[in-house]
Amino acid sequence: MDIAIELNNIYRSFRNNFWQRPKEVLKDVSIKVQKGEIFGFLGPNGAGKTTTIKIITGLIRPDSGCVRIFDAPVNSLEAKKHIGFLPESPYFYEHLTGYEFLNIHARLGNVKDHKVRTNALLDRVGLSHAADLPLFKYSRGMLQRIGIAQALITDPDLFILDEPLSGLDPIGRKEIKDLIIEQKDRGKTIFFSSHILPDAEAVCDRIGIIIKGRVMHIGKLKEILKKGIKTDEITLEEWFVKQIRKTHA
Amino acid sequence: MHRMWAICENTFKEGLRQRILIILAIFALLIIVISVFLGPFALGEVPKIIRDFGLSAASFFSILIVIIIGSSLIKKDIEKRTIFTVITKPVRRSEIIIGKFIGLLFLIMIIQGMMTIIQQLVIFVFEGAFDPGILLALPFSLLEIMILLGILLVFSSFSSPTLSAIMGVVFYIIGHASPDLKLFADQSKMPAMKFIAYGFYYIMPNLENFNFRLELVHKLPLYADQLMFTVAYGLIYTIFLVYLAILVFEGREFK
Repeated sequence: MDIAIELNNIYRSFRNNFWQRPKEVLKDVSIKVQKGEIFGFLGPNGAGKTTTIKIITGLIRPDSGCVRIFDAPVNSLEAKKHIGFLPESPYFYEHLTGYEFLNIHARLGNVKDHKVRTNALLDRVGLSHAADLPLFKYSRGMLQRIGIAQALITDPDLFILDEPLSGLDPIGRKEIKDLIIEQKDRGKTIFFSSHILPDAEAVCDRIGIIIKGRVMHIGKLKEILKKGIKTDEITLEEWFVKQIRKTHA
Repeated sequence: MHRMWAICENTFKEGLRQRILIILAIFALLIIVISVFLGPFALGEVPKIIRDFGLSAASFFSILIVIIIGSSLIKKDIEKRTIFTVITKPVRRSEIIIGKFIGLLFLIMIIQGMMTIIQQLVIFVFEGAFDPGILLALPFSLLEIMILLGILLVFSSFSSPTLSAIMGVVFYIIGHASPDLKLFADQSKMPAMKFIAYGFYYIMPNLENFNFRLELVHKLPLYADQLMFTVAYGLIYTIFLVYLAILVFEGREFK
């Protein structure tokens, strides 16, 4: 049980219409995320980050390959019990208030004392004052926070966060990063995708880099940065741009 | 069970807070009330007009609400991606379908209940007494709604809200034309046409089975075996459709 997420030789392709040939979006993706680590999944737009996340959360199926969450088959209730998921640019039921939205997710996750837990989490993400407001009145930052709260509501062992930092102001980003680190300190595993590299650099234990559907590098940040580069004075962003240029060349 | 009720409650609230629902409900109540003004055109048949018009209006508006809300019940969640946070919680896909079915059905029951109360009040004002006899129309109208809702759930699981709504209307029209379809099949001389007409007759739900308005308004006798057959028919058809919707939903991906 030391491995939280195990992806083995995942392939996935999509076709835009019936006449078109399927386009391979993921090619032989294999990733192992250790329990208790923060794993940053990085890549340019269209690299396959969201598709990988959708496969991990069971929203789509791989064409071939195997996915296990804490050793349980993906999409099983056992696997889902471990997962707290924040989708990219989340959309929520606009007719519900913040409290109602969170409470429904608590009940879906079989949370005991769901009312207490809902109020505690609203407080935790700083939305107690907006608990009775319908979600369509929430700002972008407030929606991201309520999204994080629904991921936390079942107190899962594994957080899968798709671009959790996008669209947030610096304060919002800092709060989410603090929250990610706080969860790691509680022994939780965090798998998150991002293309905001300095933020990923600040919190990740390990990173995986996906470019054009292929995982190019996995490892500790320092080790990856040192690969083939003689100076230590390089940021992840500089390294990343070099890698992408190399792949596109 | 707990999880299913959470979905059910969400669907109920979602429906309840749609502006279109309030407009339709008010309109339906108004129609029932103004049915009394049709009295002068009814040549002394006011009691029958109030009953027939009221029951028809309640049934029509319930069907309209089911088609409008039911056609986008699943697809809207998928298109707006609100389903993502729900389906990744430890919940079975069958619980989502059944929860949505019960949630919307519950909403329709409340609206029908309100329309029935208004109708009974109108009857009381005009006749000095309620008419509990016509309440028997209510459970059969609900059975018809359950079948339509099942059809909409199946289509909403894979097709667009517009196509689902169109299919709902098509099934409703063919379902009510079922006796005519049978008559056409019986009398048709072309074997191919006969085959097609019988095919439609046996596959499509016979919604006329649930229409007892004529008997109730004109106080004609109703037989227990006929009522029991209708209840069994409605329940079996609904269970089949909900099961079909679950199968479709189980197989789908959320891209």
